Amino acid sequence: MYRILVIDDEEEVRHALLRRLQREGFQVDVAEGEADGVAKIRQASPAYDVVITDMAMENPDSGVRILEAALAHDLFSEVIVLTAYGNVANAVECMRRGAFDYVEKNIPGVDVYELLVLKIEQALERRRSAVNTLRRMEEITRRLTSSQRHSE
Amino acid sequence: MKTRQHDRYQQTLEQLGAVVKQLVRYPDIDHFLTTALQQGMKLVGGFRAFVALVDEDAGELVIRSALGPGWDEEKRQRRLTVAQEEGRGITGYVAATQRPYCTGDVSRDPHYLRFFDDVVSEVAVPIVDAYGRTRGVINIESDQPNAYGQEDVDAIVLLADLCLTALNLHQSRLRQEALVQIGNELSTSEDLDDLMQTVLSVASKVLRFEDCSVFLVDDDRRRLTLQASSGALREQVGQVSYLLGEGLTGWVAQHGEPVRTRDPREDPRWRGIASEMPVEQIGAFLAVPVWGRSRTIGVIRVVRRRSLAPWFDNCFTDDEVEVLSAIGSQLGSAIESLHMRQRLIQTERMAAWGEMSAKAAHMIGNRTFAIKGDLNEVEYLLQQPGEVDRQELTELIGSIRRGVSRLEEILHEFRDFVMATHLSTGVDNVNNIVAQTVAEIFPRRGPVELNLQLDSSLPPIRCDAVKLKRCFAELIENSLSFQPEGGQLHILTELVDSRALPERFGVGRNRQFVHVVFCDRGPGVPYDIKEKIFQPFFSSRVKGMGLGLSIVKGIVEAHRGFVYEDGKPGEGACFHVLLPVNGKPAGDNAESKERS
Repeated sequence: MYRILVIDDEEEVRHALLRRLQREGFQVDVAEGEADGVAKIRQASPAYDVVITDMAMENPDSGVRILEAALAHDLFSEVIVLTAYGNVANAVECMRRGAFDYVEKNIPGVDVYELLVLKIEQALERRRSAVNTLRRMEEITRRLTSSQRHSE
Repeated sequence: MKTRQHDRYQQTLEQLGAVVKQLVRYPDIDHFLTTALQQGMKLVGGFRAFVALVDEDAGELVIRSALGPGWDEEKRQRRLTVAQEEGRGITGYVAATQRPYCTGDVSRDPHYLRFFDDVVSEVAVPIVDAYGRTRGVINIESDQPNAYGQEDVDAIVLLADLCLTALNLHQSRLRQEALVQIGNELSTSEDLDDLMQTVLSVASKVLRFEDCSVFLVDDDRRRLTLQASSGALREQVGQVSYLLGEGLTGWVAQHGEPVRTRDPREDPRWRGIASEMPVEQIGAFLAVPVWGRSRTIGVIRVVRRRSLAPWFDNCFTDDEVEVLSAIGSQLGSAIESLHMRQRLIQTERMAAWGEMSAKAAHMIGNRTFAIKGDLNEVEYLLQQPGEVDRQELTELIGSIRRGVSRLEEILHEFRDFVMATHLSTGVDNVNNIVAQTVAEIFPRRGPVELNLQLDSSLPPIRCDAVKLKRCFAELIENSLSFQPEGGQLHILTELVDSRALPERFGVGRNRQFVHVVFCDRGPGVPYDIKEKIFQPFFSSRVKGMGLGLSIVKGIVEAHRGFVYEDGKPGEGACFHVLLPVNGKPAGDNAESKERS
């Protein structure tokens, strides 16, 4: 089961996301803000597959710090940034630093939860393929090393 | 012979020395005049003396200081008519002719008017100023015939000059004090009306005039309009106006120079658009510019009635032009700094608006996102085959309801923040407002103990009772929310003056305030955030948007009041609200009504 961490300082938002993502079959943890989120990321073993974080919490760029913490803990964790209002500039900065994508919480006429679930699937796909690539490379490296030993 | 002369010289020097010493020490003017008379009598001999000063408007002399036998209240109060005709008295004659006069036998003197029966000789000397105006007369009398000679007249002339110096000093001291006062009062005036009233009252203390009017140049710099008047034009404030350059007043505004005249009709610039009195009655007219930083922003003008005594020139002197010009520039800088303060407040509010819109959008966005999520779940539940899980549905509906209610809280605060400064005032007693608020919102069986101490001597004040209730309610709720486990709330009202306020508020003296204090036993407010708690969004409470204390501040400031917190961190918070007793609230609107 894939593990997801939801970080948002608004109780209602956490609750709504938790409910929906659990229904989708994910194992979901929640954190109440930047500090709580960073702590949970560092303690996680194995690392969360996907971290969904609000952009502006204690600080306007809390999302960036969450992203840094997640990638420092596991390079292949995928981070999706949520923005509630007009904070797209910061969200784009997150993408530049390696976030998977950002989702605006309020898009008129769009079921943002559906959109988010879709993004999570894509993020998991990218994580799977990245991990597979890594494993293949490790496999190749291992083979090369052993054939070198044989020829010696 | 030589010795006698020397003695006399020595004596004169001593007596004049005593007067000069008094002048240098500068007690009050009446004390000085009395000393001068005493020494004058010693100098020339005599048994009775008085100084009379000119009342220019009435054209009369008023006795200011009198020595010797026979003076009673009635005699002191007598005003001396100034005339040249015979039998009108030596003092009046001297005032009119401005020449000293000396007689050795009053019974044969054509000018003598019997005042006392025992007078035989009399010397009278005018006090004449640098502008050639009679300011008063010194009069010394003797019961001996031919008591005074030229030497005596010369000595009293010297004394008269010293009196003139003292009068000038006295006047300039008064003006100096008044100008300092005007500076202080103008800098603390909160609005244009206040400023205007201050100018009128201070000007009347330093200048003698019948009427004073203040005009300000309109924003488009085409006209200047009457803003305030101390007399006849008061009813026409806002209506009387001049084009720039039109009439004497318009000319002053356009050229930035004073105009002074005895009779406005004789000036070719005069148009007779609006006058404080029938123009033929005007004896002196003076208009000076009100200077802003770079240009004239208005005109102050004053008029005097024509003096009843034709030989008194009632025109404004150079000194008086200077004094009014000084008031004009003080008023100018006060108006500009008032405008600057208003612009600053406007800018601050605009900035707060911008921040508030962003914050509100953020919060509304989050709530909406959560509600949409809940609705999705409801939809999902309903689409499932079989019996609907009612408990889950109820939970979701509860969550939606909470979300909507939080949206409403945000709207509510938003409205209160915007409306905080729009007052609809009546006359109310703050005690009643406090008592009503407490009755409505303080929980009867809550864990917090209430201690209410209302001063029954509070005067009613002009205020918006509904807004003040909102303000007090916020402070009470704030206190309750920080003492969830129980504690105390002490609410006190009292009447205080400006000294009760911390100096940083720079409130002028002699102002009265209704003081409302809310002290609790909660955690208190750390020193470094005592000022910040009143900023929008600073609140650490979860409810609403964190605008609570900024709404309190907005409401109190709209009443021209002050709010601050000075409790000791760790021991409790202590909020002070001060509402001015005689203030006109800033945010007052036209539909104010009396409330009993």
